[in-house]
Amino acid sequence: MPSFTTTVPNLQGVGPVVEIRLAIGSTTEEVLRKNNQNIPIPAQALAMIDTGATGTVIREDIVNQLNLNPVGVTLINTPSSTNVQCYEYLMRILFPNNVIVETVVIAAPLQGQHIQCLIGRDVLHHGVLIYTGYTETFTLSF
Amino acid sequence: MGELLTKELQTFNTHKSELIGKANGKFALVKDDQIVDIFDTKFDAIRQGYEHFGNVPFLVKKIVEIDIPQNFTSNLLRV
Repeated sequence: MPSFTTTVPNLQGVGPVVEIRLAIGSTTEEVLRKNNQNIPIPAQALAMIDTGATGTVIREDIVNQLNLNPVGVTLINTPSSTNVQCYEYLMRILFPNNVIVETVVIAAPLQGQHIQCLIGRDVLHHGVLIYTGYTETFTLSF
Repeated sequence: MGELLTKELQTFNTHKSELIGKANGKFALVKDDQIVDIFDTKFDAIRQGYEHFGNVPFLVKKIVEIDIPQNFTSNLLRV
C-alpha cells in the first residue's frame, strides 16, 4: 500500500503540511508527447491536508507555471463567499515516497505565500489519513 | 474567473433540459457551441477532450438539475 509519513514540528500550530510536486495530468502529458510539445517541469508546493475541503485547491499561479488549460468550472463556498465560480484542472499530485494521485483540482487565490495547495477530501476519499498528534506526525496511505 | 469556457457554459445551459432528460448524472463534454459527447465518468470525458482537442480549454460538466457548490471551511481561501 503506497504511503508516506511526515513529521511536522509544532504540528498543532502549523497543521499537517507536506512538500509535494504538482504535475500535469497523465492524459495531458500523453497528448503533449504525441505532438512533440514540451512537458512542463512539475511545480514544487507546500500543501496542507484539509479535511474541511470538499476538493483539492491549488494557487492560481501554478496553472500558468504548468501551462494548463481548464477542463471544467465549479462553484465553491468559503467562510466569506458563496457560489464563487472557479476553474478546474486535471493534475497529478506527487507526494513523498513516490505516492501519486491524479485528480481534478480547483484553482483559487490562497492567503499568504506559504501554502500553495489544500489537499481535500477528493484525495482523502481514496486513502487512510492517520494524524498522530503526540508524535507530531501524520501518515497518508492509498 | 476569466472569460474562458463562457461559450461552453452557454452551450451547456442551452441544452441542459434535454441533457437532463436523457443523461441525468452523467458528464457532458462541451467545446464551443457543440455538445461533443456524454460519458459515465468525469475522467473519461476529460480524456476524450484531450484526445480530441489537445491542450486547450474545454468543458466537462456533470448533468444535474442544480449544481452543488464545494465547501471550504478554511480561511486560507481568499475568495
